[in-house]
Amino acid sequence: MVKTADLHFEYPGGESFTFPDIALPPKEHLLILGPSGIGKTTLLHLLSGILPASRGIISIDGVEITSLNRKALDEFRGANIGLVFQQYHYVKSLNVEENLKLRQHFPKKLVDKERRIAIAERLGLGDHLNKKVTELSQGQQQRLSIALGLIHRPKVVFADEPTSNLDDSNCEQVLTLLKDEADLCESSLVIITHDHRVTQHFSNQIVL
Amino acid sequence: MNLGYLAYRNMISKPLNLVLSLLLLVLSVSLVTFILQLSKQLNGELNKNIAPVDMVVGAKGSPLQLVLSSVLHIDAPTGNIKLEEAEQIKKHPFVGSAIPISYGDNYKGYRILGTEMDYFENYNAVLKEGRFFSTSFEVVIGGSVAKKLGLKVGDSFTSSHGLAATGGEAHEDHPFTVVGLLEPTGTVIDQLLVCNLESIWDAHAHEDGEHDENREAHGDEEHDHEEDAHEHSEDGHDHEHGDDEHDHEHGDEEDDHEEEHAEELEITSLLVKFESPLGLVQLPRFINENTNMQAALPGFEIQRLMGLMGSGVKTINGIALAILLVSGFSIFISLLKTIRERRQELALLRTYGLGTRKLLYLVLVEGLLLAFFGFLLGWLLGRLALLLVSEYIESGYGYVLALNGPDFTEFLFFVATLVIAIVAVILASTSIFKLNISKTLSDV
Repeated sequence: MVKTADLHFEYPGGESFTFPDIALPPKEHLLILGPSGIGKTTLLHLLSGILPASRGIISIDGVEITSLNRKALDEFRGANIGLVFQQYHYVKSLNVEENLKLRQHFPKKLVDKERRIAIAERLGLGDHLNKKVTELSQGQQQRLSIALGLIHRPKVVFADEPTSNLDDSNCEQVLTLLKDEADLCESSLVIITHDHRVTQHFSNQIVL
Repeated sequence: MNLGYLAYRNMISKPLNLVLSLLLLVLSVSLVTFILQLSKQLNGELNKNIAPVDMVVGAKGSPLQLVLSSVLHIDAPTGNIKLEEAEQIKKHPFVGSAIPISYGDNYKGYRILGTEMDYFENYNAVLKEGRFFSTSFEVVIGGSVAKKLGLKVGDSFTSSHGLAATGGEAHEDHPFTVVGLLEPTGTVIDQLLVCNLESIWDAHAHEDGEHDENREAHGDEEHDHEEDAHEHSEDGHDHEHGDDEHDHEHGDEEDDHEEEHAEELEITSLLVKFESPLGLVQLPRFINENTNMQAALPGFEIQRLMGLMGSGVKTINGIALAILLVSGFSIFISLLKTIRERRQELALLRTYGLGTRKLLYLVLVEGLLLAFFGFLLGWLLGRLALLLVSEYIESGYGYVLALNGPDFTEFLFFVATLVIAIVAVILASTSIFKLNISKTLSDV
């Protein structure tokens, strides 16, 4: 599902990273572990195509995204990739349900109310669909972030430090939710973190 | 969940910012549409009112004042002219109709106009109720007067001296009786109480003749009796000074012999309609050069007046357009601010699969919505202002301002507003093309 070869990135400032090759089969989970500053977020942005690689090949679901043009890449990313960000991102002028709807809408135009409600229920957001996103608690925002990463049934989900701000019990809960949702959607899951509490949950690991 | 809806939600998400960026636009649009409508409608009203009169002949003075007073009934007359001299003009072959009018009194601020039956025809006024006057002190009242003062056929009232509601002394001995009500015509006649010329003469004759007890008994027939005091005839010249037209001493006239009588009767002015267009060329000059009266052309004077007002209108429109440009700039700033504040959201939308073109579209829709609502609110505000001013103008001048739908000029103005918004969007959205998704999303 996710395959990289000879992946290299260089910031304009001169800082450069070379990443080990990755080969992740469909529906499998992968943990990429590494300390801060080693380029974890950079790798995640490269894999999801929001940062162009300086060198090397990334292919997702058999499509070489490193050779797509910008428009095709935008469309491919929208349809096939889910992102769970370290900082929570959503559209502040829309409420919880509308944010989910917005994610469903682009680019597949799959607006499926039942799925919206089902995923919100599973993530404990069922009672908060009509709330403003800014009214949600930290934990609820984290779960909304997961919902937004998965609602459109992407081929692969990339999660950036999903547990770093959470206490132990919440950490467990979030990991379980992520894994379960990914399995339900039959998506591959790639988690990038420095949080060692996560290691025991994944057999498939890469250490940077 | 289309982008238009998202743009709308974005727009209303910060009401205070929205109000701020709309304020200038609303202000400028309301100012422009208000001024455009006002000058257009006043122009229309004026033209409608002056149309039945080609030339006014009255006492020497300002021609504009003569037109304003005798045709539009909004200024004081320039003075009086002798009926005899006016009658001469009537005989000229170029003259089609010539209607004498005479002023002096008002009832609760509405002018009482002495004239002849032709006056009604001139303004296409028809009776709604009652009949036209047949003798003195019978009055036919215009549509608005009837409505405002609640007068009915059969009512009687006493007039007061002068043309303004306040201060005039009442003519209590000569009450007017309402004999007819006119249908509203949308012209000046709606604001008038119309009677025959004799009523005006008699009302003032009576007042000035207090030194002569005999006259009381004769009532309306006062002109016809022959009495002493021939020596007064010299005083007739005093009438011509313009300021105090109601001070004229009609007493003299009645005291004169009958053959001299018509010569001394006075009217305020003569409303002339030409038979031949040649009249327009020859008569005004002839009258101005060879008589001690003046001739004024309403069309020309009103055009001159609109020319004077026009520069004021242009100035206000200039200011309003300057505000419009500033409001375009404020929309630009507001969109720029929006884009900066929402750059993380825009980056997020990129990860959802939206290309830069769609993001541009999102901002464009927001800008156009701003422009549209700004224009709509401004337009409504302009009409509201017109409605308020309309009340005032109607009670003051009798002109009814209509609340029209949008006209073509306003449509052009709307398009101009949208163009300004589009330019603002294009200028503000350059950063969308340079958006670094990775960096923007990682920024805390």
